[in-house]
Amino acid sequence: MKKNIPNRPDTSHEDASPVLPWWAGGIGIGLVLIVAVALVQPIGVSAQYVVLDGVLLHAVLPDIASTSPYLAKTAQGWTLATYEFFFVLGIPLGALVAAMATARFTTRVVPVEWRRRFGSNPGNRLVWSFLGGFLLLFGARFGGGCTSGHMISGISQLAISSFVFSAALFISGIVTARLLYRDGASRC
Amino acid sequence: MLILVLGLALGTAFGALLQLSGASSHTKIVNALRLKDLTIMKLILMAIGVGLMGVHLLDLFGLANMKVKELYLLGIVIAGGIFGVGFALTGYCPGTALAACAEGKPDAWVTVMGGLCGALAFAFLFPEVEESLMTIGRYGPVTIPDAIGIHGIWIAMPLGMACIWLAARLPNSGGAR
Repeated sequence: MKKNIPNRPDTSHEDASPVLPWWAGGIGIGLVLIVAVALVQPIGVSAQYVVLDGVLLHAVLPDIASTSPYLAKTAQGWTLATYEFFFVLGIPLGALVAAMATARFTTRVVPVEWRRRFGSNPGNRLVWSFLGGFLLLFGARFGGGCTSGHMISGISQLAISSFVFSAALFISGIVTARLLYRDGASRC
Repeated sequence: MLILVLGLALGTAFGALLQLSGASSHTKIVNALRLKDLTIMKLILMAIGVGLMGVHLLDLFGLANMKVKELYLLGIVIAGGIFGVGFALTGYCPGTALAACAEGKPDAWVTVMGGLCGALAFAFLFPEVEESLMTIGRYGPVTIPDAIGIHGIWIAMPLGMACIWLAARLPNSGGAR
């Protein structure tokens, strides 16, 4: 897995394989959750997209921002100086440091599996990424959480809604992925 | 002020762990959903196993700050379904997209922009959605131990061990590849 293929340098950093084994990463994430629950509250990410939306919109068009009770409630006080937002701010920071430290920084636009199925057109990948991102956060806010909030934090608290959300997520994700990235009959 | 530093520190640890574990890789996520590479499933199961036991041990001593999400059956199922399609399309979730952004992946940047739009769309649709889809099968923030009437530790311990056992038992690759 760790072999670099010398004649294809453009893919050598592509979605590099993990440097932490699954069990170490899993224990680490579990510990982050435990510390967060002990000191503040369970971890969560997706609500902070709404907070950033709210703060930005309120800065530009305060009247429109105030018409949404959901926005006003989630982005309380129209401020980013909260524990929750700083937690989310830490994610790219930590990932940047980790990627730099392990030389796994990459500016590839089209991931391997996407290219194999849909070709290397970057525009195509970007348009679908935007639409996918839209669905991702629409679904997460509708359900009240994402992979962190519902799956990791929610199941750890034995919340029934989190079991239901996770089951629906995986069924839908697996069906979509199998349809979307289906291999040709020749390869299986 | 201290709380912001704590948030940033925990988030940084979380982001680094996601990156180092391969959770911010489109390939890893998509192949997990195609059941071709189960590393991410093992990672999630391990995290949940450790989390279940740790959170409920804290709770046993009254030290856990719980925050349980509300159950509205129909809405949750639809929401999970929508999320799953986005998950398979992008290969990211809201958290790992941010990690992937920092790794330099342009498709993750676009995913985050799409996400900001999706979250904003939901914010403005919320009153209608709440009155309709979020009223069906509404039970509030319930947990399994609440519903049964026992302390969570009795479920969390065996279930946590089962998650870790399953994580260890699952093969790295499922089938082809």
